[in-house]
Parts: sequence; structure tokens; C-alpha cells
Amino acid sequence: MDGILFHVSSKLLILLLSISYFTQEISCLYEDQAGKVDWKISFIGKVKYADFGNNKLLVATEENVIAALNTKTGDLLWRQVMENEAEQQIQFFNVNKDVTTVSGDQTVVSYWSINNKELIHVIPIEGSHIEITSFYLETGEIKGIPKKINTPWLKDAFKCASSKQYFACVQKNGEIEQIRYINLIAENSEVLSKPIEFSETGEAEILSFEHEIPSVLLVKNNVAKIVHFKNDVEILAKTFLPNVVNVKNDVGNQLYQLEINVNNPEKLLKVKGQDKDGNNQVSVDVEYPKGLGAPYILAGQCRTNNCDLLLSSIDHALLFVRIPEGKILWTREEALSDIVAVEFFELPVSELDASIENEFKTSSQDILSMFINRILTQSKQLTKVFIGSQLMMNSMLVRDDFGLHKIIVVVTRIGKIFAIDTLSGQTVWSYRLPHVVPFDNRNGGDVMLFVQRTARYSPFPAQCTLLAKDDTTGNTVMFQFDPITGLSSRGVVKLDRKVKQAMLLPYEDKNHLKPFITIYEDHSVKVHPEESTVIVKKHVSSIYLYMVDEDAINGYSLQLIDDRLQTFRHWNFLFRGSKLAGISTRPSGERVHSQGRVLPDRSVYYKYVNPNMIAVATISEDPVNKQVLSIYLIDGITGMVIYALAHKRARGPVNLVHSENWLVYTFFNERYRRRELAALELYEGHVQSNSTFFSSYAMSQLPQVQAQSYILPAVPLKVTVTLTERGITNKCLLVALNTGAVVEIPWALIQPRFADIPCGPEESCYPYMPEIPLHPEATINYNQTLSKVKGISVAPARLESTSHILVHGLDMFYTRVAPSKTFDVLKEDFDYKLIILVLIGLIAASYVSKTLASRKAIKQAWK
Amino acid sequence: MVSIYENLTFLAVVVQLFLFQYVRSSLLDHDGALTIKIEHSLNFNKGIPILTERGNISVQSTRIGQTLVNQKHLTPTESQLLNDLAESNQFYQIRAFVNEEGNERNKFISTLKACMIAESELDDRLSISLDYTGRVVAISDIIASKSSCEGASMSLEKLKYFTSTVYVRHTEMGPVPDTASYIQRLEREKEAKEKGEGKDNRSFLAKYWMYIVPVVIIMVISSGSNAENTGASN
Repeated sequence: MDGILFHVSSKLLILLLSISYFTQEISCLYEDQAGKVDWKISFIGKVKYADFGNNKLLVATEENVIAALNTKTGDLLWRQVMENEAEQQIQFFNVNKDVTTVSGDQTVVSYWSINNKELIHVIPIEGSHIEITSFYLETGEIKGIPKKINTPWLKDAFKCASSKQYFACVQKNGEIEQIRYINLIAENSEVLSKPIEFSETGEAEILSFEHEIPSVLLVKNNVAKIVHFKNDVEILAKTFLPNVVNVKNDVGNQLYQLEINVNNPEKLLKVKGQDKDGNNQVSVDVEYPKGLGAPYILAGQCRTNNCDLLLSSIDHALLFVRIPEGKILWTREEALSDIVAVEFFELPVSELDASIENEFKTSSQDILSMFINRILTQSKQLTKVFIGSQLMMNSMLVRDDFGLHKIIVVVTRIGKIFAIDTLSGQTVWSYRLPHVVPFDNRNGGDVMLFVQRTARYSPFPAQCTLLAKDDTTGNTVMFQFDPITGLSSRGVVKLDRKVKQAMLLPYEDKNHLKPFITIYEDHSVKVHPEESTVIVKKHVSSIYLYMVDEDAINGYSLQLIDDRLQTFRHWNFLFRGSKLAGISTRPSGERVHSQGRVLPDRSVYYKYVNPNMIAVATISEDPVNKQVLSIYLIDGITGMVIYALAHKRARGPVNLVHSENWLVYTFFNERYRRRELAALELYEGHVQSNSTFFSSYAMSQLPQVQAQSYILPAVPLKVTVTLTERGITNKCLLVALNTGAVVEIPWALIQPRFADIPCGPEESCYPYMPEIPLHPEATINYNQTLSKVKGISVAPARLESTSHILVHGLDMFYTRVAPSKTFDVLKEDFDYKLIILVLIGLIAASYVSKTLASRKAIKQAWK
Repeated sequence: MVSIYENLTFLAVVVQLFLFQYVRSSLLDHDGALTIKIEHSLNFNKGIPILTERGNISVQSTRIGQTLVNQKHLTPTESQLLNDLAESNQFYQIRAFVNEEGNERNKFISTLKACMIAESELDDRLSISLDYTGRVVAISDIIASKSSCEGASMSLEKLKYFTSTVYVRHTEMGPVPDTASYIQRLEREKEAKEKGEGKDNRSFLAKYWMYIVPVVIIMVISSGSNAENTGASN
């Protein structure tokens, strides 16, 4: 550590100071601990283009990733993540000796090495019309002068396709549809056309098609015909399905397409191969997994008699099929590269523990029946101890003592739900919801995932509800399932309206099920399950909610009108032309352990812990200051603005983290061109207004706000805070950076300091440093780079010291963090043998000395 | 019409300088005046509030928060209605219509427990929150109290005159990283080191008492036991 050299002496001082502080806080990893509790799964996203080359499978995806996969196992050989998929989407992908890609509106031709992800050349191309530039791919030099082609006939660029040197479009001249094409590299190229002869009705479309002879596919009403460009254009007579793929084998070209197998319910998919005239037909039945969506062929490769086909399903799974066996060699679930909701679930207790619990639950007071019950359950327990329960042993999904083994339920953007084991990272179950997509409103995120009952209440199963949007109607769909097994008794329930807002209530019914309410556009309220309406009516005066609209945040309460539940607008907050940049509430399960902060003079400064507080960030366009970031702390019940502050010349993206009595946010300071992190902390003062309960209505004094700001020498993508069972453990911020690291920043390092109170080691306070030191040792994912992080989810373990962390994005990374170190468990390398040996030795020594002493006493007595 | 205006009681002219801790009123680039018309609802028809006029507030300068409050007193029937709301633990709602310069008219809603306003004998506080340019973003009616209530009944005499206090609350300037004082501190520390001020000037005993005391104790104990031993052998 002392070997690090810096040219600026002040920087050196900052660093040494911070290192000396950090070494007490951060527990980094030893090499042999890597991968012990954490796991990482890498994804590539929805595959757009695929090709075989050099015994590898090369793919380009919608996430702007180029990757090579092992054809035997489907493992990732290398992956190159390119930035900015919105503007630089890959448009062309070709595998020859190496990989060529063309991407973006401002077109860039890139040439990649096939064996490693090395970028050999990048050639930028400018111009908005058709222009032909030839390059030597190996060197990147331009060959000859660019050639321009006049394209006044190009009206609809979407109905065009290119194939090798040919560029073809479909055009409609009145009733006659014709295909217009051009040979781009011919000396005197001119546009030729041919009318389309198609018996089908509807609009013709053109798709690109891989073949030795330059060709395209003409599709009309789900029937495809192959068009060859030779000297003349030739439309083949034989019709195919639009997902037809040409695979070259030793004999010639074989065309493969997928069909539904009506006759065999076991093997739902049929791969049909034939040549271009419909001869040499082969048909292979494939045992297609039932949970996956409809497939289509992406690429294929043949060697002697074996053919490999790469399929993709509409729910973004990749399958590798070998024919003629019809066996699926491997599957990759690429849906997991875009997760929209995450929830951690406790596992149910083992059958043995459950039976012990049930032993004391019997309500019968009769001595005899109680005795019989006890004997019965205990004999059952005995047999279980000796024989072991087969069912539970197989799945091993049993709660452990420390709550370290959990199930993570993730909902993906494509509408597929996965349950993942925290110990192994393996998918326990998955469920596809067809036509289910995230909401597009501002309330409560992309989808809503409510935990109605955890697995704590045996024999009742855990229950979880997902609310999302139906893709076809736009209405809301509801899916209720058991997060441990994935079983759903009712399946996908389609509601007849759009849900505007929904909320899980903290009250339990007699089956320990928490009801939730859904609110509709017409202010009507519905309770799920309906039997719990009684409970909601009982607590109607204490249910409040808020909704974010285009220009305002509105607060509502519930009221009973003619025995019907309705919302009642309580307060409003107007944006006044600003745009919402972020909204944050405290984590629902969070507990605040200490009510105040002890000052060096032994007085207590009480925290202002308002469970109803909403933190809102808005960005306003300003003629003088460009953009202004405003932060408002609003009470969610009264709508009162507790505190407001503004940063001039500040720009998003804004990350808001709200926990206990503090708020942390990050933004971009345009004046100094740097990322900043600011922390606000709210205190009631030296007197606590009401120590027993908190009411938003009773506002005796405004909280005192401490604020401090820091320079963050990195680009944060997502920020969150650790969460532990009882809130005793120190808090740590987790910041995902664009470099692929997730760093842990102790809250104590950024907690605002009091201006008039000394700060030093004696007060257990870190002196203020304007720049937050980010140390490599503080990276929780050590050398595992995480690309395009979209979220970090945190859940407490039953061990107070530990939190579960799931970072998702293009990679999924799970680990456990202990911000105050694992003070409540013995170290891994704790020497049990030594302590047992010492104990045995001591006992033996005490017996030996006892006999020796007695012998001595006898001898003394004889003297 | 005339009689109503005569009944308007000029209750309070509240001139208030804003009390916030670190207020720099110069933060507001713009200064403006606001006129706020306040309506309140003392009874509800199927959950829809029936609004009646409560009064007007004019903020002459949003920068220094100078306000003029002009509110009607409640008629006996209105007092009764408010008391009924308080007794049945219902909500009391105000709607504020804000006219800003530039003729923009915005509506703000604030709701509080009727029993709390009754218990406070109509002594409420109106918080007008402004954004960084001085536009109103929220208006809240609050009661300064240490606890909430679940229904209360008051004598109607006490529910007659509003004694409202108006707070104009600005958006503060966000904190900026304080690099200057940090560099100063580092330089001070460096200087102090160079001068040798950091040396420990305490006496030898003050520095090492924690090592000396155990040694002394051990010596005392061992000498004591030696003395015993010698005594016993004698």
C-alpha cells in the first residue's frame, strides 16, 4: 500500500489518510474466497444475427454485444460490449475469416478478430445516400474512390434488403407490385425491376436471406418465396415459411424451416429440411421445452450428415438443436439480461421443523388427545431424522439457520419469471407469461411485485403477486404464484381495466395473507382478495397513497362512500414545468435501530425518521442556468414540503437513495464537469417531539437539515444502500460504476458533519474530504466486470451483519456483503480442532492434577 | 354583497421574516407578489367537498416573505359543521387558488384532521413552498402539535376566528463540495508538522502511566505475598 506513488503531494496525503481510515472499514476478499459465496452469470441479450465460424458460434445482439459461444456447451467464449445501443445498433453482421459489423446511424464498420475480442479496424462512414466505398478489411485502407448511386426511387427504406452485391426493394406502382434491384459493384450499375407474381393477397415484404447465390425472401401473407439474383432475377416457384434458413452441406444447399407438430404432443416442434425444389425432404421431431415461446431459426451449419441449428424463441431463449437426432444440446435464457423486478424470498422450514411447530399448535385441551398427538408427531420426527425426507433432500430448498439460502424471483421485460437459488445461481423454475409487458406509467416502476405472504407461515404456501400490462389490450394482468415452487392456482388473470396504482397493505388476514388494493382511473378501489375488504374498511382512515402524473404528484386517502371504497385527493404538488428525474421512498422493511446520534458532549441528537417521506428530484430547463436540479422532501400524508433545495447547472441522470433519516443523490455538475454526490440528514434536535409514535399530522417543528456534498470521481449508474434485519449494522452505499465495478462506500464517510462539533477518531468521525476515495479493495465484485448495470437489489439475511446483493444488467451477480464485518459468525478459518484439543487437554490436566494433589495430600498426612 | 364585505374582519397582518436556518434570501433571483384565495370545505356530499370561501392571503414579496392575511370568521352554523367534522374524526380540506404575476392560476389542495384544527382553536399554519425561481409548488395547512387526535369536540365559541400564520418557504441552494477549506486544513497540518508542533509535550508519567501502573501493582502484590510467605515460615 505504501508503494503507491503520486505526483501531487496533496493527493498523496488524501490517499494516505483515506487508506488509514478505510483499512478499518472495508473487508476485501482473499483470492481463495472468490466465488465462494458469489456467482456471476453473463448474458448477451436478444440475438439479432448469428453465424458459425472457426468452430464457434458468433452472435450480434440487440444489446449491442458481439460474442462467441462454444457450440458444444453454449458457454461464452468472449463478449464485446459496445456502448449506446440506441444509436449505434448493429445493422450488419458477417462472419468470414473474421467478424465484420456495421452499426449505427452514423455508420461505423468494425472488423473484429474471431479468436479473441480484439478490434482490428474501425472505419467511419459518412453520408446519407447510397454510396459505395470499398475497403481492404485486413488493413482498413480505402480501395479506389467512393461511388455514388442515385436513388430517387427509394421511398420506403424499410422494404429493402441487401444480399452480397445486390440491393433490392419492393415497390408498389398502383396495383402492380414489383421488385427493384441493383448490382452495386457492377461497372455501370442500373436499377432493374421485375413484377412479383404471387397468388397470395396482402402487401409483399422483403427479408434478407443467406445463400451462395445473392438472394432475398419475398414474404406475402406468411408465405415466402426465394428470389435469386444471377444474371437475371429468378423467383423460385416453391413456397416456404418466412423462417426458412439456408444451410450449406456437402451435397448442396438444404433449406430448413420450423413447423408445429400437430400429431405428436410429446414433441411439439418439427424441423423440416428440403432443397429448393422441395426434394430430399427430411423431417425431425424435436422435444421442445414447454416453457419456452415460439421459436425461429437464426443460423445453421452442416457437416456430413449432422446439422446444427441455432433457434431463438420469442422470449429471447437461445437453443442449439442437432439434427437428425433432434436433440437440444443447450439452452441459454437471454431474457435474464433485462430484469425489471427482483424480490428475495425466505425458504420454507424443513418438514421436521414444521412438524415440531405443528406439535404445539393443536387447539385441543383434552389430555389424552394431546398425548396421542405428541406421541404421533414425535415418532414421525424420529423416523424422519433417521430415514430423512426424500422430497426435501432432493430439492434442498430448506431454510437455513442464518437465512443465507434464499430464492430470488426476478421478472424480466419480456414477461418471463425466473426463480434463482442464491447458493448456486441456478434457475429453480421459470414461467413465461405470454403478451405481458411492463407498464409505461410513472407509478411504482415497470411492474409491481407484491409479497403477500412469506414462507414463514407453514402450512400456508408463500404467495406473491405480479401486476403488469397486457400487450394486446393495454389492460392490467395479474399473476399470483408461489415463489418457492412457481405454482399458480389461477394462472394469468386478465383484469378488465387499467390499474392506475396499486399498493400492498401491511395488514394480515387470518391466513397471514396481506391484501393489496388496486386503484383505477375512475378513483374506484378494489381489494385483492375480495374477502379482505372488511380488513381494509376497518383501517380505511390510515391508508394513504400517492400517484405521479404528468405535471403533478397527487396524494390520496381512502374513504368509504355508501360502503364503497374510493380515493379522496388529499394534497398536490405541482412540477411547474419541471421534469421528474427520480422519486424514492424508504425501503418498506427497513428498521431504524438507534433513535439518535450521540454527540461528543454525551447529549443525543434525535433523528427525524419520517416513514411517510417521499424524496422527489426534478429537473427544470432554465435560460440562465441551463438545467436546475431540485430536490424536494415531501410528507406523503399531508403533502407538506419538508425541505427543498436546488442545484444550478446540474444535469441528470439522478440517483436517489433514501434510508433512515437521510437522503443521498448523485448528479452531474455542468459547471465543473464532474459527478457529485450530496448527502442530507434530518434531525429533530435535542428534544424528541414524540418518542412513542410518529404522526405526519403532528408537526411541532421542522427538522434540522445537515447537508454535505462530495466529488464522485466515477460515473455512477445505480446507487443503493445495504439493508439488514434489525438495522444495527452500519449502512453502506453500493454504487455501480460504468467501469463495471460495484463499490461499497461506508455511510460514515459521507454522513454530513456538524459544523460546530470537532470531528476525529475520538468522536468516531471521519474528517471531511471533498473527494470520495474509491478504492479497488472496496469493489464487491473484485475483478468480475459487470456490464450495463440496470439495478441493484438488496435484501437482509437473518444474520444481522449480512445483506444479500443482486446486481443485474447484462451480467447477473450475486454476493453477500457485511458492512460492519461478520461480527455475529465465527470466521471461516476458525480453528475448531485447536479449541477442542485445548479443552480436552485442560480437562485431562485437571483430572491428573486432582489425583496428583490427592496423592500428595496423603503423603503429607503420613509425614 | 356589501354586508359580506363589512363582515370581513381584518384579522391579522402578519409580517414575517423567514425563520429558516441558512436562508440567504438573495438566492431568489426573482421577486414577485402572490395573491392566494383560500376556500375550505366544512361538509362533504358523498365524498365531494363543498367549498366555501375562507379568505385571502397576499404575499407582497416572495423574497422576504411579507404577507397580508385577510380571513372571514366562521358563522355559528359553520362552527357547528367544523365541530361535527372534528367529532366524527373527518378531514378538513382547504383549496388555495394562487394568482402569480403572469396571470397563472394554480390550484393547491391540503387536507388535515378536523379535530386537530378544532383542538388548536383555528390556529393553523400555512406553508407556501416555492421552487428556486419563486413559483409556488405546494401549499400545506398544518397544525403545530406534538400528537395527533382521533376525534374531539370543542365549544363553538372557540371555533370562530382563524389565527393563521403564513410561512413562505424558499428552496435553498444545494451544498457544494468544500475543497478550499480542505486544502487549507491540509496546509495547516503540514505547517504544524514542519514546525514540530505536533510533538507530544506531555510528561513521561502522563504518557506511559498505563504501562507503569500494572508493573507497580504486580510488584506490590508479589512483595505482599513474599512477606506473607516469610511470615508463615516463621
